[in-house]
Amino acid sequence: MSDVVFDLENPTEDHRMLRQMVRNFVRDVVEPQAEEHDRTGTLNVPLLKQAGELGLLGLTVPEKDGGAGMDAVSAVIVHHELSKSDPGFCLAYLAHAMLFVNNFYYASNEAQRERWLSKVISGEWIGAMGMTEPSSGTDVLGMRTVARREGEGFVLKGHKALITNAVDADVFIVYAKVDGDVTTFVVERSAPGFSVGKKTEKMGMRASTLSEFMLDDVFVPAENVLGTVGGGVRNMMRNLEIERLTLAAMSLGIADRCLDIMVRYAAERTSFGKSIAEHGQIQRYIGESFAKTEAARALVYSVARDVGPAKRNRIGTDAAKLFAAPVGKEVADNAMQVLGGWGYCSEYKVERFLRDAKLLEIGGGTLESHQKNLTKELLRKVKQD
Amino acid sequence: MKILVALKRVADPDNANKVKIPASGEKIDTTGLEWKPNPFDEYALEAALRLTENGTQPKVRAGEVVVVTFGPKETETTLRAALATGADRAIRVDASDDKLDGDLVARALKALVEKEKPDVVLMGKQAVDGDSNQVGQILAELLDWPMATFAATIREEAGALLVGREVDGGVSTLRVKLPAVVTVDLRIVAPTSVYSTKTPSTHKYNDGVRFAALPAIMAAKKKPLVEVKLADLAPDQALKVSYHGFAAPPARKAGIKVKDVSELVSKLKNEAKVL
Repeated sequence: MSDVVFDLENPTEDHRMLRQMVRNFVRDVVEPQAEEHDRTGTLNVPLLKQAGELGLLGLTVPEKDGGAGMDAVSAVIVHHELSKSDPGFCLAYLAHAMLFVNNFYYASNEAQRERWLSKVISGEWIGAMGMTEPSSGTDVLGMRTVARREGEGFVLKGHKALITNAVDADVFIVYAKVDGDVTTFVVERSAPGFSVGKKTEKMGMRASTLSEFMLDDVFVPAENVLGTVGGGVRNMMRNLEIERLTLAAMSLGIADRCLDIMVRYAAERTSFGKSIAEHGQIQRYIGESFAKTEAARALVYSVARDVGPAKRNRIGTDAAKLFAAPVGKEVADNAMQVLGGWGYCSEYKVERFLRDAKLLEIGGGTLESHQKNLTKELLRKVKQD
Repeated sequence: MKILVALKRVADPDNANKVKIPASGEKIDTTGLEWKPNPFDEYALEAALRLTENGTQPKVRAGEVVVVTFGPKETETTLRAALATGADRAIRVDASDDKLDGDLVARALKALVEKEKPDVVLMGKQAVDGDSNQVGQILAELLDWPMATFAATIREEAGALLVGREVDGGVSTLRVKLPAVVTVDLRIVAPTSVYSTKTPSTHKYNDGVRFAALPAIMAAKKKPLVEVKLADLAPDQALKVSYHGFAAPPARKAGIKVKDVSELVSKLKNEAKVL
């Protein structure tokens, strides 16, 4: 046997150093501000820019184009660590770095990168992605936003809703149909006819903001089309994989933190003359939370090794999020149950994590959409045999 | 300015309860411990970076920062992290942790200083594991260099450093001519603690040590890290400190309740013997 222990969470030295850097950032800067932004329901814009200074916003962009050139495991590491302290901020980071930057980079041409990439990698501009509409979420191809050709470009008309970062974003990736085929556009906030609605109030993930935006005959030049006209579904599906994976990593971060809180509490609290950790009911919460968190860790990190711009892993990423999201919620709920009345109060933080954890069963794909996708893929494999 | 920063890795002080002592009491069992850079040494590195830059352009190094540590191969992790934070190159003196003491480290550092010829040697005032607080002082004595310990502020001057030290009842300021040895205290990383001659006096640093940005982490892999044999620096490896045994501190006894003040006074007088 070699002395070198396989480290699931840090397959290489680069991963280990990235994690250490993010941990330091989280401990010194992210954790102290989390509660305030949850309470006020606001995005900490300077904090997102600081993540840019640290090179985290261009995490998955190759080094030759100004990014850090890191892989999906690295993206998982960043989301995992950020979510141990502030899942709400992490969601805003995800909307920027994954839904905008990663999505944009792998669909863009040189001229488009020249125009927007350095602005969003530095954090000078905040990005958001508009896919969901008021009447179509999981049924994404049912979108009604259209783009009709006009002169040297397209005129966009439609309405997008439940868009993370919309309140603060300067630039948006917008999906709209050209002659019935989904196409990807870059739209700047300043475009005439583009307007963002009021902040949408929500239960959790309150350190990221949510809103809708309206496209009222917004003219977009042809050079703002990402990829090909009608090629939007391909961009969307490719990016959905790293989106699901990093959302699953967020659930893992929530589970890790809530497990830590409940174990520490159980080590100190007594009832009926003995430590609550001696009660079988508490042991069940702790034991099951740990086992499920470890299972989520193993799944998320092993799937992450098979996700990348040149690889497809739809089935793995759907499975990772389908499994990890309920684990995050359940472990947060278990932590609240172990802490009892104190868990319900803000001071011990688990009520915030529980509110945040619920979103991950909905956003970036509902549990039901993962079940549907997995069944479809598995049946297709059987039929191919 | 060329600065040599001595870094030591220590067992993570946040997990001090994981330190185990076998029944024989002959050593401390280090298996399973997480390692971190000694916080005071991290502050020394931050001070070195501040002294070799214009604070408004921290990516450009004016001078050279060399980091050195003593230990087995695994301690290179500590050095890589320092390179990612901004140091230019690193030296690992290959040694086994249990065959070192402050005197031997200082003697080896002296030989290294004679080779490297830095203007300043910076390090933490002490390491948070053994808390010996010796290496800087012994090194200055061996080199016959000026020394300032427990630095809370450093201002670069032409050919000298103006060092502020927090002492009981005030601040003692020393002007040390270069080359010199300086050991730092925790307030050295406050926003206005360290100024090179290039940094405008209006500049304020972020509180604490800087984070290694991702591009710097990647670039650190290409920075030079060399291994030096301890025997080449210190042919005589005899230790002055010998350990006779280790024991955990005794567990705290439960408290007692007293009926009234007179019983309290009586117990303090007769049992605790503190009055």
